[in-house]
Amino acid sequence: MTDAIYPQVRIVSARFLRPDTVEQLLNRLVQVGGIRRMSINGPSIPATVPYGPARGQPNPHPDRKVIRVGDQDVQLRVQVGTIILEIEDESYIPVIGEAVDEVFADKDFSCTVQQGRYMKTQPTLSDYAKYGPDADKQILGLVDPRRKDGPVIIQGTK
Amino acid sequence: MKVKRNMAYKPQYGPGTSKVAENRRKQMNPKQKLEKMRDVTDEDIVLILGHRAPGAAYPTAHPPLAEQQEPDCPIRKIVTPTEGAKAGDRVRYIQFADSMFFAPSHPYQRTYTEAYRFRGIDPGTLSGRQIVECRERDLEKYSKDLVNTELLDPARTGIRGATVHGHSLRLAENGMMFDMLQRSVLGEDGIVRYVKNQIGEPLDRAVAIGKPLDEKWLKAHTTIFHSLGGTPYRDDKEYIEYVQRIHTLRTKYGFLPKE
Repeated sequence: MTDAIYPQVRIVSARFLRPDTVEQLLNRLVQVGGIRRMSINGPSIPATVPYGPARGQPNPHPDRKVIRVGDQDVQLRVQVGTIILEIEDESYIPVIGEAVDEVFADKDFSCTVQQGRYMKTQPTLSDYAKYGPDADKQILGLVDPRRKDGPVIIQGTK
Repeated sequence: MKVKRNMAYKPQYGPGTSKVAENRRKQMNPKQKLEKMRDVTDEDIVLILGHRAPGAAYPTAHPPLAEQQEPDCPIRKIVTPTEGAKAGDRVRYIQFADSMFFAPSHPYQRTYTEAYRFRGIDPGTLSGRQIVECRERDLEKYSKDLVNTELLDPARTGIRGATVHGHSLRLAENGMMFDMLQRSVLGEDGIVRYVKNQIGEPLDRAVAIGKPLDEKWLKAHTTIFHSLGGTPYRDDKEYIEYVQRIHTLRTKYGFLPKE
């Protein structure tokens, strides 16, 4: 969950991004700083075929890759289309906008930066029923808190 | 089967004055030859379909019609069986997903087109995918038409038996429609190749189906109304009038409307 005092930003590109573009964009955002939490969204790319006659077979996919962000490896599990950020204060928003423009300057499609509320601020009754009272509030509403692999922590300069 | 040539009505296929409506009529009208865009071989089609190994005999669901006693039925006397039905083939399928971003065809359109052009088929229309079932031998013949003509764009049409999600999503950076199983891959040389069959099982060899068509061609040949960058539906007054008339009539139907 988030404290409502922190502003949130959503970065939406007109096309789904290739892993190398995501790597470039995230590294540029990490340089900007001021990011408390980040979630990358998009349609899922599972490791095995989830249903149908080929269910359970491995699903090699060129976009399911490990990328390097800051000093950490991040396993991509989705085709990235949206990035949600929670930032420390509003002064970072124009800087993020500039960073995004810089990365997308040589692409033939656009990318927009929007401000709003994109992360949950309060657990719902369904969250309580599904995950119980002790669910990790840091990631509830962003990903399934029952996942064994936790969030990737990228150390800032603070 | 003999079709009565001089019918009282000339089929109109569909209303509309826009380019999109014209493209729809063109696809549906069996007298219009569809433009051939690529040359995918019979063996390649069999590989993508994944129902039998190339070169293998067709498994059968029943003995050939010539070898079995047919009941005395007037309909059977009128309707000539298709090749597949004659041989007693199994019923198999091909399924397509068409991107909303100006794919050359779309589910409803495919069903109409197939119903006008092919025999012995059972199409199923859903919002994001369209499946057509028929006897295996016929299926391979029809699939070849569906893949080789202008009904398919290698990037924005997917041959997907299962896990079809992607028709309403943004395109990928390279212009391909999202596919969770990535059955088709755009190569460095700009050619799209199927590396998995339609249900997502890896193929022994990649099947090339050609280069994606450019944006200009797609916009000129699409059968999808799209208010962002294409022909908006509301601009085709005749189409709207037709749909509204059908809607009004079926709403009032219970009250026996008189025109």
